[in-house]
Amino acid sequence: MSAFLTYLITGLALGCSFALVASGFVAIHRVTGVVNFAQGTFAVVAGLMAGSLLGRGLPHGLAEILAILLAGAVGLVVGVIAIGKRGTPPLASLVITLGLGILAYAVEIIIWGDQPISFQMVPGSVDIAGAPILRQYLVVIAVALVTFAGLGLFFGRSYLGKALTACASNPYAARLAGINVMRMGLLAFALGGLLGGLAGVLVTPLQPVAFDSDVALATNGFAAAIFGGLNRPGLALVGGLVLGVAEAFVAGYLSGSYQTEVALALMLAIMIWRASRRVSVAEEPA
Amino acid sequence: MNAPRMVGFVLGGLVAVAALLAPLVLSGSQLTIYVLLGTAAMVTVGVSLLMGYAGQVSLGQAAFYAIGGYTAGLMGVHGLPTVAGLVCAPLVAGLLAALVGIPIMRLRGHYLAFATLAFQLILLSVVGQLEVLGGDIGLQGIPRLGIGSAQLSNTQSYAWLTWAATALVLLIARNVITSRAGRGLRALATSEIAAESSGVPVARYKLAVFALSAAFAGLAGGIYAFFLGYIAPGSFPVLLSFEFVVMAVVGGLGTIWGPVVGAAVITVLVQVLNSLGTEPGMPPYASSVFSYAVYALLLVLTLLFLPRGLLPTATEWVRRALRGREPPAAGDRPAAAVPTGDASGSPAR
Repeated sequence: MSAFLTYLITGLALGCSFALVASGFVAIHRVTGVVNFAQGTFAVVAGLMAGSLLGRGLPHGLAEILAILLAGAVGLVVGVIAIGKRGTPPLASLVITLGLGILAYAVEIIIWGDQPISFQMVPGSVDIAGAPILRQYLVVIAVALVTFAGLGLFFGRSYLGKALTACASNPYAARLAGINVMRMGLLAFALGGLLGGLAGVLVTPLQPVAFDSDVALATNGFAAAIFGGLNRPGLALVGGLVLGVAEAFVAGYLSGSYQTEVALALMLAIMIWRASRRVSVAEEPA
Repeated sequence: MNAPRMVGFVLGGLVAVAALLAPLVLSGSQLTIYVLLGTAAMVTVGVSLLMGYAGQVSLGQAAFYAIGGYTAGLMGVHGLPTVAGLVCAPLVAGLLAALVGIPIMRLRGHYLAFATLAFQLILLSVVGQLEVLGGDIGLQGIPRLGIGSAQLSNTQSYAWLTWAATALVLLIARNVITSRAGRGLRALATSEIAAESSGVPVARYKLAVFALSAAFAGLAGGIYAFFLGYIAPGSFPVLLSFEFVVMAVVGGLGTIWGPVVGAAVITVLVQVLNSLGTEPGMPPYASSVFSYAVYALLLVLTLLFLPRGLLPTATEWVRRALRGREPPAAGDRPAAAVPTGDASGSPAR
């Protein structure tokens, strides 16, 4: 029973970190229609930056916030390159973000080297119903829940959030209503960067991050994001939790080496299922 | 045949002859680069067909490269005729692609890109756990390619084998594109619905071109396995798949020779920077940093500033220079670098 509880809470925390990466995908795709392959990079940059700032003796809190802001700035730069040139089709933007992800490898190796970095945020563990749980897991869950509540309020209630959504559903009409679609797109990229950075800062204490950890982070995040069709943060959270718990149970009861296969196979199954449900006429872009 | 096409024809012939004669003068390590360039070009021709003509992005093409390599390697290690291994490599890769393609080719745009990436990650992970395939250590001691006792033992002969295989791949790609099916493919890249309603069997054609591109990758993988004599899951990283996409985009999608130009430009550039990076006084990470930077910068700059790729842009310049006497050839305009047809993947909300 206590093993079960440990796996469950570990899985939920893992799922929350996937969901945070997923929320970055959603924020960007919702507004710009671009799937950002550099999403894992934001998390990696923030994780590495937080590690080296803490190593320099900066206090907790400040180091993490600076790292997240850096990831937001990186997000903005990626956005400027990927969508800043008018008339770049979304699929070209996708390949551009892929290229920027590779470029980030070069920069990250120069700055931080090619070895994984980790740091401690909240050490120790607590007992919950007899199951030892790392405190860090609880922090991840709490921050993710607060973030998602904030995102829900932002997109649903605030003027800016509604303007962002308007750009997604009809850019032309949004322009007519006086919304600067390009600026909103860049804002979305910065927001995606911040969310990715948040995920990176929270995950690094749990699993060391190296320059090439972004593929694993991005595939898990994407898998969570497609639960909501890349457009709905709430469903991305659900997706992340399902995926995280499934991975934790597979790793706990079967074998850790099947973890990735399970996540990826689940993602493929969902995508194919969604594709078969879609009305094909609605897919043709205008 | 008008002047620009004539120029293209003569240039293509010259390149082919030069490439055929090159192994006579190249040194050992240069021959290795030649073989790797050729295999990369073969895979990239497939990627270019898929992206430029069928409008589908595959980020998992190295998976089929790996399948070809493992097919050839496994048959060789178990004492089967190596020629049979080389023939089976593209067949198995193509067949597996057709099977996998039935569900995943229903996806489009970024969904397909992620699905192919996921396929490769799953494949690598499975291969790494299968004892039959050597696990993470890989297959060692793959015999040299040969018939009976006659073996291709020196690097030069592999260079010529690569030349022949690349020529075969280019010929097949050309014939597919100029055929009725090729016109159907170009139509479905622009609009699947319009193509479907004009009688193009969209699903079947997409699957067929996916399988064909996988077969090209499989053939290249087979040659790679016999050439190096050793393969492991680590030989086929995800980054390799990205590299093929970079080569295809940089060279020019929707052209026959574009992938060859892309593969050549990038392979040579990476090699030059690699030797620069291993010079004394350079930090140990220099060569990997250089290669990442080359891939990334070429990809991004090409997409932003030469969206049709190097070769089509260069052809256009030549065409402009020769024009004045005749109107431009309208028949074979290459497609845009990344087809806009299915761009948004799924606007269905």
